[in-house]
Amino acid sequence: MDAIRTENLTRSFDGRKAVDRLTLEVPRGIVFGFLGPNGSGKTTTIRLLLGLLDADEGRAEVLGFDTRAKADEVRKRSGALLEFNGLYERLSAADNLDYYGRIWHMSKAERDSRIKQLLTPLELYDRRTEPIGRWSRGMKQKLAVARTLMHQPELVFLDEPTAGLDPVASAALREDLERLAMQEGVSIFLTTHNLAEAEKLCAQVGVISRGQLLAVGSPEELRSRTSAPRLYITGRFAPQTLEQMKSNPLIQKIEQHNSRLVLDLNDMQRSHEIVTQLVQSGAQIDEVRKEKADLEDVFLNLVDEDKRGEA
Amino acid sequence: MIADIFTVAWKELREMLVQGDPRGRSRLSLLLLVVIFGVVIPLQNGRDWTDSPISVIIWGWMPFLWVSGIVADSFAGERERHTLESLLATRLSDRAILMGKFLAALLYGCVLTWIILLVSLITVNVTSSGGGLLLFPLPLAAGAVIFSILISGLAASIGVLVSLRAGSVRQAQQLMSIGMLVLFLPFMFLQFIPVELRRSMVNFLSNTDPIQIAILAAVGLIILDGILTVIGMSLFQRSKLILD
Ligand SMILES: Nc1ncnc2c1ncn2[C@@H]1O[C@H](COP(=O)(O)OP(=O)(O)O)[C@@H](O)[C@H]1O
Ligand SMILES: [Mg+2]
Repeated sequence: MDAIRTENLTRSFDGRKAVDRLTLEVPRGIVFGFLGPNGSGKTTTIRLLLGLLDADEGRAEVLGFDTRAKADEVRKRSGALLEFNGLYERLSAADNLDYYGRIWHMSKAERDSRIKQLLTPLELYDRRTEPIGRWSRGMKQKLAVARTLMHQPELVFLDEPTAGLDPVASAALREDLERLAMQEGVSIFLTTHNLAEAEKLCAQVGVISRGQLLAVGSPEELRSRTSAPRLYITGRFAPQTLEQMKSNPLIQKIEQHNSRLVLDLNDMQRSHEIVTQLVQSGAQIDEVRKEKADLEDVFLNLVDEDKRGEA
Repeated sequence: MIADIFTVAWKELREMLVQGDPRGRSRLSLLLLVVIFGVVIPLQNGRDWTDSPISVIIWGWMPFLWVSGIVADSFAGERERHTLESLLATRLSDRAILMGKFLAALLYGCVLTWIILLVSLITVNVTSSGGGLLLFPLPLAAGAVIFSILISGLAASIGVLVSLRAGSVRQAQQLMSIGMLVLFLPFMFLQFIPVELRRSMVNFLSNTDPIQIAILAAVGLIILDGILTVIGMSLFQRSKLILD
């Protein structure tokens, strides 16, 4: 059974679709990254999956439970770190965790040992009795992550966990998340607009833009699927060159930006053929570069294409 | 379910009693209340304290005031400090959250009242020596227990409702003060009631057993508390709270 399965999930606000016919399957036991720019519908998706909002159309199942009819079963088995960390600033770190432990009916002994187990590696255990109001954002965010894991849920939602943290704190939190994901063996649905984060943490990534899912796959798959290695050629080209090249079956796609050609090839091993053809057509070549697109390229491409499609 | 209600109430009370609470009800101000109503005023009344009408005001009116002061924060505060959505994402049922908040406010009101009454008894017994142990007469003691619960419950259920709908803690507090005025407005207009009607009311009251009046009032309060709680439950919907 999948951790998450949605079918045409749709939700609008004031006539605008925040989530648009989202169909997605997330297997259990992995960290799934939901990658999209601001306002693309990530938070709305999490709210729909937790049954905090109702969908206008479509349906979703989380851990096998329908999010409309059985939202309480979903919430019982999940943990969530939402847009705001939701910590009680006047309470101590231990009280914050203790509250959530009580909510999930853990005994006093279970709560105490779990608090120690979670906070010690985060280096927060010695400070557990402090009210957290004056803690740094990074410390609070770590505590909030610990809180979502307190009751050993099957599935955890993390809504942009590193947003608003400085680079050092983000990197530290990412390390902790990586360790916790391994150690706890929990399924994680993580939203982010940060590509490095998705690359580092996620076994699979879904790219969302304006509510629509544009692509799903492992970071490597996405990179190779959406764009094979690219050929960048800089120089001076005759006006008819572009037309001639288009008939070459080796070329998937060709674009010219001023003095630069960007080519997607079917077979990178044969890139020398392209260069030969160009030289024969009278081009003056300054530089030839082969490059594998990184996830950032893929992401920007996807989002870009999506926007152009709309215009 | 019961355990969940107590869990929510536990956290509410814990937050209320934390030092430096911005609700202005820190432990110090609580102590001040206990000293004024549990020591200073009983001292002024001396041996008459246990029959004094002031002790009736302490359990018949003050709980409303005290609970009003803290209950506005229950939902509006969680929304303002962005903790509500995380709470709604837990396994707690709507009912447990609502009743937990209600219970916390109710407990705050009656436990504070009982502590003050207890301290007042200690005060008068210690200072006014001789003549044996001073205690409240039984009907008054029973009234104190029952009405402190019902009055606290009334303030708690109104307050939770107001807090649920209000946009901010400030607005909730303002609404609570207006609500309190409206509730006690009838007493101010007592003098405008035609003389005959007033006379017959007074007659009715003086001819009826005070215990019967108390029972009538208690039943009225129970019904009112019940209605308000039902309204609260029907208004409490996760998806609506998130969109606000
Ligand atoms: N409660 C709401 N009321 C109105 N519009 C909303 C609400 N929540 C989200 N939206 C809109 O839905 C779109 C997606 O928002 P969101 O899911 O928060 O995106 P993300 O989390 O990816 O930044 C945005 O255009 C946002 O303005
Ligand atoms: Mg968001």
